[in-house]
Amino acid sequence: MSTFSRRSFLQATGVTAAGLASPIGMPAIVRSAHAASGTVKLGCLFSSSGTMANIEGRLNHVVRMAADEINAKGGVNGRTIEVAVSDPASDWPLYAQVGKQMLEQDKVAALFGCWTSVSRKSVLPVVEQANGLLFYPLHFEGDENSKNIVYVNSPPASSVLPAVDYLMGEEGVSAKRFFMLGSDYVWPRTINKQLKGYWKSKGIPETAWREEYVPLGFSNFQTLVNQIRAFADKGGGKPIVVLTVVGSSIPDFLREFANQGIKATDVPVLGLDMVEADLEGLNTEPLVGHLNCWAYLQNAKSAANKTFLKQWAEYVKAKNVPFKGDVVIDPMVSAYNSVHLWAMAAAKANSFDVLEVRKAFAGLSFDCPSGYKLGMTAENNYVSRGVFIGSVNEKQGFDILWQSKDAPKPVPFSPYG
Amino acid sequence: MKPLASDRAFLILLAAVLAVALLLVISIATPFGLSAYLANVIGQLAAFAVLALSLDLIWGYLGILSLGHGLFFGIGGYVVAMHLLKHSHEVTGKVPDFMQFMGWAEFPFYWTGFGFFPYALLVTAVVTLLISGVFGYVSFRSRVGGVYFAITTQALVYVAMLLMFRNDTGFGGNNGMTGFTVVFGWPIGGSRVVIAMAAVSVLMLGLTLLGCRMLLAGRFGMLMIAARDDEVRLRTLGYETLRLKLVVWCLSALIAALAGMLYVPQVGIINPRLLAPELSLEIAVWVAIGGRGHLVGAMIGAVLVNAVKFWLSVAAPELWPFILSGLIVLVVLVFPNGLVDLAKLKLVRPTGLKHMASGTPELR
Amino acid sequence: MAIQRCSQARSIQSLWLTGDWFGRLSARKGRQRSVHMMRRVFIAAILFVAVWAPSLLVAAEAGHADLMGKLCGDAASLGDVGRALVGIAADGSQDERAWATPVARAVIDRKLTCDTKGAVVISGEGSFDALTREQRVAVEGGRSPFLNLKNRALFETAVAALALRTAPDPAQRGAALRTLERQAAGLPEHLFEAAAEQESDAGLRAQMTAVAQAAALNSADPAKRIGALKRISATPDRRALTQVRALVADPAYAGDPEFKRAVDAAIATIERGITAGDVLAALYNGLSFASILFMAAIGLAVIFGLMGVINLAQGEMIMIGAYVTWMVQEGLRHLAPALLDWYLIIAIPAAFLVTAAVGIALEAILLRHLYRRPLMSLLATWAVSLFLINLVRVTFGTQNLNFVTPFYVAGGVPVIGDFIFTWNRMFAIAFAVLTLGITWGLMRLTPLGLNIRAVTQNRTMAGCIGIPVRRVDTMAFGLGSGLAGLAGLALAPIYSVNPQMGQNFIIDSFMVVVLGGVGTIVGTVVAALGIGQINVLIEPMWGAVAAKVIVLMMIIAFLQWRPEGLFAIKGRRK
Repeated sequence: MSTFSRRSFLQATGVTAAGLASPIGMPAIVRSAHAASGTVKLGCLFSSSGTMANIEGRLNHVVRMAADEINAKGGVNGRTIEVAVSDPASDWPLYAQVGKQMLEQDKVAALFGCWTSVSRKSVLPVVEQANGLLFYPLHFEGDENSKNIVYVNSPPASSVLPAVDYLMGEEGVSAKRFFMLGSDYVWPRTINKQLKGYWKSKGIPETAWREEYVPLGFSNFQTLVNQIRAFADKGGGKPIVVLTVVGSSIPDFLREFANQGIKATDVPVLGLDMVEADLEGLNTEPLVGHLNCWAYLQNAKSAANKTFLKQWAEYVKAKNVPFKGDVVIDPMVSAYNSVHLWAMAAAKANSFDVLEVRKAFAGLSFDCPSGYKLGMTAENNYVSRGVFIGSVNEKQGFDILWQSKDAPKPVPFSPYG
Repeated sequence: MKPLASDRAFLILLAAVLAVALLLVISIATPFGLSAYLANVIGQLAAFAVLALSLDLIWGYLGILSLGHGLFFGIGGYVVAMHLLKHSHEVTGKVPDFMQFMGWAEFPFYWTGFGFFPYALLVTAVVTLLISGVFGYVSFRSRVGGVYFAITTQALVYVAMLLMFRNDTGFGGNNGMTGFTVVFGWPIGGSRVVIAMAAVSVLMLGLTLLGCRMLLAGRFGMLMIAARDDEVRLRTLGYETLRLKLVVWCLSALIAALAGMLYVPQVGIINPRLLAPELSLEIAVWVAIGGRGHLVGAMIGAVLVNAVKFWLSVAAPELWPFILSGLIVLVVLVFPNGLVDLAKLKLVRPTGLKHMASGTPELR
Repeated sequence: MAIQRCSQARSIQSLWLTGDWFGRLSARKGRQRSVHMMRRVFIAAILFVAVWAPSLLVAAEAGHADLMGKLCGDAASLGDVGRALVGIAADGSQDERAWATPVARAVIDRKLTCDTKGAVVISGEGSFDALTREQRVAVEGGRSPFLNLKNRALFETAVAALALRTAPDPAQRGAALRTLERQAAGLPEHLFEAAAEQESDAGLRAQMTAVAQAAALNSADPAKRIGALKRISATPDRRALTQVRALVADPAYAGDPEFKRAVDAAIATIERGITAGDVLAALYNGLSFASILFMAAIGLAVIFGLMGVINLAQGEMIMIGAYVTWMVQEGLRHLAPALLDWYLIIAIPAAFLVTAAVGIALEAILLRHLYRRPLMSLLATWAVSLFLINLVRVTFGTQNLNFVTPFYVAGGVPVIGDFIFTWNRMFAIAFAVLTLGITWGLMRLTPLGLNIRAVTQNRTMAGCIGIPVRRVDTMAFGLGSGLAGLAGLALAPIYSVNPQMGQNFIIDSFMVVVLGGVGTIVGTVVAALGIGQINVLIEPMWGAVAAKVIVLMMIIAFLQWRPEGLFAIKGRRK
């Protein structure tokens, strides 16, 4: 080992000192001073890299668009909204890390984030400990009711069960046998658990269903589609596939399904996480008829939707957003709703303090682009949304097969297990 | 290697580490000092530094590159997570999430006893030694080395990740394990506890530094460097290199497991992402950037790279991957011995045919 | 109503015959009065028909208008229309079928608009009213009737049934027959018989008769049932098995010994067919997975064998090859849309050359300086992989790319049992064989290949005898990268193409290379086949993840025992 000269010692210490004095270590005083000058910060926890990037990345821009819209009308409580965007890189612990940083260092007034339940569950302890507020825009498995999370989208009772009921009924296909195919994590497992409980309650025997799980990002569905065909041919009633795979597995599965010549009239697929963006790379002619279920579909016929679609298309063009201006998915609309809900609550409470804002949720109502009126109650942090069942069409979109009359009251904890 | 007393650089670094630890201890008791957030970051960086040290031990001083150290890091992390969950369950009665959505009423049988910390510690040590021992023994006996060994360790950690992603293995699957509420009887969220855990991390870092240094200062260290430089010659001289390599390999694995045990309570979640092959590759990158073959270098590399990563994930998320790749290429081409070279201003002209102008010879 | 008309037609026919017979009889004396009456009745009958026939047409018109009205109604009435159309296909006249065909087609293709005046069909020659067939344009505010799944099934059947009887092209009739085969039991029995009667093509006629016989499984005549069983067991699959197994509960099974024998024989034949199909499916899936592994690994094998460099950027070369393919597709779309379907073939040289160029650049700029430091080059290539992924992400975005599926890689052919021979994987297999051929040819027959082999075997000696080692390195790296680019092209129709896609192939390709033995093509082929087949065999038993884990563990264990791999040029033991 050579001697360590004074120069190199100084350099080493300097590096360590620089590390400590880096913006992480910068005292919060410097940061919040910036915030106090007429702005309020909102934080985004959506990945722009990694497996979730294609679907989560859009939501950052929607939140920005909503903030711009509110700022144009004068902001909230006299302050303009500033949106801080981060990149948790589809790395679940990094969501927690970045969330903590935003709450404690940047002092954001609210967080908007997470898609997978994994990421939400890793941010949950952070928001609870730091007493922050996370607006979660995805439909999910329910069975959770934290005071620090606002569940802007539907639990299974208003997102999964209506679609399954439809398929099991006369109007649908009188389905009697079910092949559950999901990615291996909490949301599909919980959904399938609840579905099994529901079917048991209807007297359907255990032999009528089958469960298979694949890793996240799985793409080689040849054998599984063979198994689905074998399951379908066994007879005993009309079979359907309940698809809870997520991300790039959805188009891979649909492609293999079509290639093996199975049509929706033979074995319909209910893709519970399937959005318009998943059909972007596919030829959907052989896939016409497969179903999904969300609180918003792009083809919803309402004036508010027309306005929203135009707004998004113009925003994409104006700000050079790297996503398509003619594709709008439910989580985007839910993120948009979240920002407005927060702004309304903050205005109603005339404060940005989390406790005050939370008290202001009760009785809030907002006109969602889906055409329904969103509502919140004092009971919990769930938002009531309408229900759409969509059917794949040849133009890589969804036609509206059925929609609920109004926005049913959300049920946080499923009675079916 | 120089005797400990005259190695000024190392002593200064050790002093710095202990100073930080002292500062943290002060922060617990008094309102002065560092915030809980900053303490938490320091604590995580300390855990990463321990991990980097473990890799530097076998790579820098023994010449074996392992790209699967995330496996042992993960073992430590998972065991401590199991302990925390079991302990929380015993204290608060809270049932872990993964049991809820799998529909399990009780813990699987292999979870028994984890509420008791010494048992968890024992399990960590035993499992780590078992896996590293078996794998190391079989590999070193077959004289598998160099690139083959590196690739095989990548495959090993990949297999572990795939297994852990399955929810039915009973370790939380893709969701991992989170929701730790209590550690040693204290609430895990409290700022005092957070700072205390960070202090423990930094202290363990100091101890590990000292321990590694003492190991390397003696005869054992000389044997390691000899094995790195020319193993055949060492064998010809009559030394049993298999035993040497195995012992250091297992020791390195244990230190990595220790790092895992320090890391997970501070970040509050563990999931199979920790076992991703890319992460294990990154550990090698920290060591390479900091300075392979110098304990100081490994530690600085880990702290620096992770600090920049934390900062950029919020400040300029698009830039981070480009900066990282640029840094790696720079180090590999221009500063082959990492930042230590930079500190000594020993740059190399990238012609490829020259041997590196430093004390450490070509590592294959 | 159609049946009524049929029997009425028959009765008129018989009346003619009777009239004829009576006409001859009338020549006899003594029957004059009855003959006279017969004649009167006969004339009255003709008059009746003459008056009645137009009313038939009017009734038909009214029926059509009724159908059009229901077409623009709700889901239940749409279902009625579907069933009625199937009935027309089975029992209707030629004209009726000709009238119904464009309507059914338009509903499925969403080219039918319902407006205030009725329904309008939009076709290639312009739009016309569905009922009157006059040219007219749809009124503003019209909507297409929406088919839910049940109605879609009905209309698909109707379209196929009508095509079976009326399509001019025998290929179309054959396709319609195939569609209808699967639901033969639910269709009117005489549909196939009627179609067979008027069928001109002999082969198709035989097929139709076969389907008609197979549909008679539950008819009253036991001989027909046994015939049906024989037909069904000729095309064994699980659906047929379910159908035949259900017959075991049939009373005829217990009662009639000949029937019982036929059923048992059918079950045995079908089960044999299914097993054969399953075995073939397993082999095919294994072969297709192996071909993917091979293509991803061959480039790596060349590079690793030559320079001992583990190229962690290999996956990204695959990704770049796929992106180049997409760019060629987009280029063709704008410049020569007629050739769009051939983009996969046209992109072959492009994908190869671009990725080879990237590889050569990588070698010249970066790896050249690291040639004696494989571990450092490993890290360097990982940095490059990170850089490439993010560069592509920033340039093209994170979304999956949209690929047109050309006709030669779409769909599949059912072979036996439940085995379907899908064309996209056949394309991959064929491409892998092509790649193997090219690589082998290059290695064995060209000077570059000779140099590569020499440098792989003994680098220093090769340098001594005058081989330009550095140039060989560069060219080999280019070759390896180019092969990876070709892999990306072949994978485009199968996998999603996005910046991350390369990451899925890294570990697997390494395992193939290391298992097969460094630097040998044969080794790579054998290893890929082995890994692919074992993986596919284990998958149905324990799932995809377990299969992967077991295969990896097996390879790791194998490598500990024999680190140089299956076929090694040089040993790895020190």
